[in-house]
Amino acid sequence: MTSLVLTITETLRYRGKIGQWAWVLHRVSGMGTLIFLIMHVIDTSWATFYPELYAKAIAAYKTPLFTVGEFVLVACVVYHALNGFRIALFDYRPQWWRRQADAAKLVLLGTLVLLVPVFFVMAGHVVNYYNERVTTFDLGLESVIEATAPFAVGTVVVLGLAFIVSAGMAVVPSLNAPKKRLKGSKMETFMWSFMRISGVLIIPLVFGHLAMMHVIQGVFDLTKVGHVPVFTNLGANVESTLTAVNFVRLRWDTMLAGVYIWRIYDILLLVLVTVHGFNGARYVINDYIHNKLANRALRLAAVGTMIGVLWVGALAILQSVPATTAEMLNQSSQVIGVDADTDALVR
Amino acid sequence: MEATIRIRRFNPDKDKKPYWATYTLKDCEPTNRLLELLHRVKWEIDGTLTLRRSCAQGICGSDAMRINGRNRLACKVLLQEFGEKATIQVEPILGLPVVKDLVVDMEPFFAHYRAIMPYLVNETPPPIGEDGKPRERLQTIEARERFDDTTKCILCAACTTSCPSFWANGAYVGPAAIVQAHRFVFDDRDQHLQERLDVLADPDGVWRCRTIYNCTPACPRGIEVTRAIGEVKKAIQTGKRDY
Repeated sequence: MTSLVLTITETLRYRGKIGQWAWVLHRVSGMGTLIFLIMHVIDTSWATFYPELYAKAIAAYKTPLFTVGEFVLVACVVYHALNGFRIALFDYRPQWWRRQADAAKLVLLGTLVLLVPVFFVMAGHVVNYYNERVTTFDLGLESVIEATAPFAVGTVVVLGLAFIVSAGMAVVPSLNAPKKRLKGSKMETFMWSFMRISGVLIIPLVFGHLAMMHVIQGVFDLTKVGHVPVFTNLGANVESTLTAVNFVRLRWDTMLAGVYIWRIYDILLLVLVTVHGFNGARYVINDYIHNKLANRALRLAAVGTMIGVLWVGALAILQSVPATTAEMLNQSSQVIGVDADTDALVR
Repeated sequence: MEATIRIRRFNPDKDKKPYWATYTLKDCEPTNRLLELLHRVKWEIDGTLTLRRSCAQGICGSDAMRINGRNRLACKVLLQEFGEKATIQVEPILGLPVVKDLVVDMEPFFAHYRAIMPYLVNETPPPIGEDGKPRERLQTIEARERFDDTTKCILCAACTTSCPSFWANGAYVGPAAIVQAHRFVFDDRDQHLQERLDVLADPDGVWRCRTIYNCTPACPRGIEVTRAIGEVKKAIQTGKRDY
């Protein structure tokens, strides 16, 4: 921790150029996005496993605090994506370094240019929601606490377990041999490439996801009467029967050319973003936490949470596949015409 | 002209914590180097001020310090760049243990330097000249040009101690060691490329670099430091020096 405090105070004091500040923003926006990602994947998996909990989570997402948080999240993702592209570009073309400062300014400008219309549209959803459907302003703290408390408890439990395992590993001599000399690490070499390649792949996926789920339609629209869910085979939501849970399932059941397009899309996004995010967390842990016990515990917690998030996320997407999928896939040529018959798709 | 210098002082025998001391010097010339002003503080005001310098010409790399927030050599900074009535803030470089005042313990820095094998390894016997005696190994102008930039390093540690990754974790070999490694990785007379790349692909090797670019402007020799690190990364990824 002293290392983290020293880095923060001295980064503020050192007169580094824009590259230093781009790095600060990259770290902060990355960690912010990761925290949201953990909550978001687990919450969304409830649409499959615990529908009542998912409905509650979506209700909490509509409270003012989460609304503010969503704006911050979108800003974090946009900056992290554009700056990540800059880092990857200059890492693979180190001879272009003279342009990196201009590129860092361009990233800031690009972030602003993107965020202005995006925030405008997002604010429109908020205004509509409060004008049309909210009669009394309510911070909804109770709902926020209810939605976040499981994660607070989960964090404590995971960290507690990680520290116990770490303490156990500390007494195994073969795991604690001091490092004698520098030795190449294939994993570290691979992860460096992975961070850059996955980062670039994630950009179109996450921008598409944000556009569909946070900008074109907001969380407020999911259950709104008259709303036509974006890029699904659903018609207008005429009778307000579309619950948030059904929305998720119907979206996943949407087919394009005989493929569950959003299941594939979401699995790809889930895997790339989760591994990218937790490896980023590992970098941060190894940079700032030097106490052996704490360092190992936090890395274990990160790996454990990563596996957990991948597991529940993938399971939620795959388990929600209707029982008739096999038949449907066999008759995929006919399936394309099935879009009007939504009842058949809802379990 | 007058100059005010704020110096981060620390005497481990007396002081619990470092503190700022301010000194005012009269009759300064705009062309005075900061190093001369520090000398005047030591010689005219407070003889206990401790700093390190040798050649005073920007060649030996002894007097790297943080000057107005940036790592530079005190002997390469002229008073005139700070304008009339200048206040100059001077403190030791960050990330290495402070021995006294502006002097840091360079041993961890040199340990990283030694770890990257800073010497040419060539097992074949040297060529024999016309006089029958061994002579130097010749190399084409282009092959020499490939690593010319990184031969300029004077090991002043200005780049390494400007790096937030090094501040956070002193186990990181740091920009200077990688610059020195670059000088041998891209030398076509060297025969131990794989061993060099293996050392540098350590988690505490090049992979701790986050491409922050603090090191490049910190170099008093104008070495393209971040570029050199990037080229070493690419050599590791491809396993070749002519990737």
